[in-house]
Amino acid sequence: MKNQWKWLGLLLLGMPLAGGAQGADPASQAELIQELLARVQKLESRVAELENQPKMQRPANGIVLASMESMSPAGATMESLQSGMQASGTASGQGTDAQPAYPSLKLAGFSDFNFSATDLKGSRSGFTEGQFILHLTSALSSKVNFLSELSATARSDAGTGSPPATGFNFEVERSIIRFEQSDHFKASFGRYHTPINWWNTAFHHGQWLQTSISRPEMTQFGGRLIPVHFVGGLVEGTVPLSGLNLNYNAGLGNGRGSVISRGGDAGDNNNNRAWLVNLFAKPDRLFGLVVGGSVYRDKITLASGREFREWITSGHIVWQKENPELIAEFANVNHQEAGRENTFNSQAYYVQVAYRLPWFENLWKPYYRFEYIHIPRSDAVFQGVPNLAGSVVGLRYDISSFAAIKAEYRNQRRLPGQPHGNAGFLQTSFTF
Amino acid sequence: MKQLSHRLQYAAVLLIACLVVGRCPAAAQSASDVAIVAHPDVPIDNLSLADLRKIFMGDRQFWSSNLRITLLIRAPVARERNVVLKTIYQMTEAQFRQYWISKVFRAEAASGPKIVYSNDMATELIGGIPGSIAFVDAAQVPPNVKVLKANGLLPGEKGYPLR
Repeated sequence: MKNQWKWLGLLLLGMPLAGGAQGADPASQAELIQELLARVQKLESRVAELENQPKMQRPANGIVLASMESMSPAGATMESLQSGMQASGTASGQGTDAQPAYPSLKLAGFSDFNFSATDLKGSRSGFTEGQFILHLTSALSSKVNFLSELSATARSDAGTGSPPATGFNFEVERSIIRFEQSDHFKASFGRYHTPINWWNTAFHHGQWLQTSISRPEMTQFGGRLIPVHFVGGLVEGTVPLSGLNLNYNAGLGNGRGSVISRGGDAGDNNNNRAWLVNLFAKPDRLFGLVVGGSVYRDKITLASGREFREWITSGHIVWQKENPELIAEFANVNHQEAGRENTFNSQAYYVQVAYRLPWFENLWKPYYRFEYIHIPRSDAVFQGVPNLAGSVVGLRYDISSFAAIKAEYRNQRRLPGQPHGNAGFLQTSFTF
Repeated sequence: MKQLSHRLQYAAVLLIACLVVGRCPAAAQSASDVAIVAHPDVPIDNLSLADLRKIFMGDRQFWSSNLRITLLIRAPVARERNVVLKTIYQMTEAQFRQYWISKVFRAEAASGPKIVYSNDMATELIGGIPGSIAFVDAAQVPPNVKVLKANGLLPGEKGYPLR
């Protein structure tokens, strides 16, 4: 191909040069050579362009405007299909019609399968099916978006009958409609993962997105230490602030339900709304660094009727690159019963480090995490929430751009003096 | 006159040498730079590398409150994409894909960058989509497209960061 262009260029060159050498003056010859040089450059660029074409077939009917997501195994999204149809119009001579169509529903998903073996009493080894997650996004206009995350979770008691059969528990994890005025101000309503914990809002239910198999216990789904879900409204935005890039979230919502691991989905159980403020910076000078903190305030009404004021303060520092990756978070949960002076402080933190090895095509990523939880015995709100001091060490292998195999070993101790428990896990997680 | 004749002879020899070798020094210079092109209504002429990063990472999504940024990026294997991944994102292809899947999943962006399959397609769409921005080979920028400076420099200038 390249040789053909060269010969064509040579022919084009040869004809005017041969003629010009006999009759034209030197000035016009110089101009001609400049013009030919430009033409050769253009031809060379075009040849390089053709050579660099990806192996995938370029659509025969002209332009197809695909989104990044269409590069995923999920294949053509609604957006790319619609854009493709518009592009067909382009090919028929109407010019480039690349205006977006609304609503533009896009669908993606995550899932995982696991095997575990442990020496803990009462636990059994075997396979478990992870969560099946569907993620829907739809732009309703240039400034309005809707997002939803749905989960189906295998449970031993989700079926019918007595005793209950195994089955799947369906849940709307997130459902958010967002109005985007600008980068500085966005307002939304819905059900969120509470933005007072970095892990909770970075990975959600996408097991494939996180390096490790397990979430830190302080932010475990179904856990009670921090409220994982939040139902209400949120404003958020970014302020450049001299390269500091300060991001904010401020929210007002229902807070915890009577079962404190659950949000107030069907309404608040008291007349006090929970509120939160989350601030974090992503400085220009340290590309990859995220550092921030949050406060969360709620009034909890337990099923027994006892009421507690809750203050949560938390902080995080994250190095988002993979050579190395660092995630460290801390949270303090303060409870005070109404009409009493005693306060109880529960603390939890974890530090996770990982490193994507530069060999074997960057497919291997070992990781280690230490985590710690301390709950005062007399904290009535956290009765039954166990302490923890434990380590997690594992290895992630990216079998494709969209699937990973992970192996993990956990060593945990619930109380000082108690024996350590050991467990091994294997997981394949993926997005589709 | 004699000096001009020598220059012409040199140019002719250089031209033939270029064709034989397959690359001209001047062409190599311009082909190595990647230009930032944008729709003419984009109200900015110069972007720092940090600004470019914010835009292409999806952290900045609006030029102004009435004009949303639309990112166009070349499909895998294209040199322009490799330059952008190396310079702007500082990511591998796999990390780039995971980044955008994650970004959309976090609800931080409604969608990822649009994929374009050639420089011609990029410049054609740049003209048709208000607020759009893309990277194309500096040697293939048509005259009717707005070229943005990077760190105050245009393609071909010394110190230009995208090459």
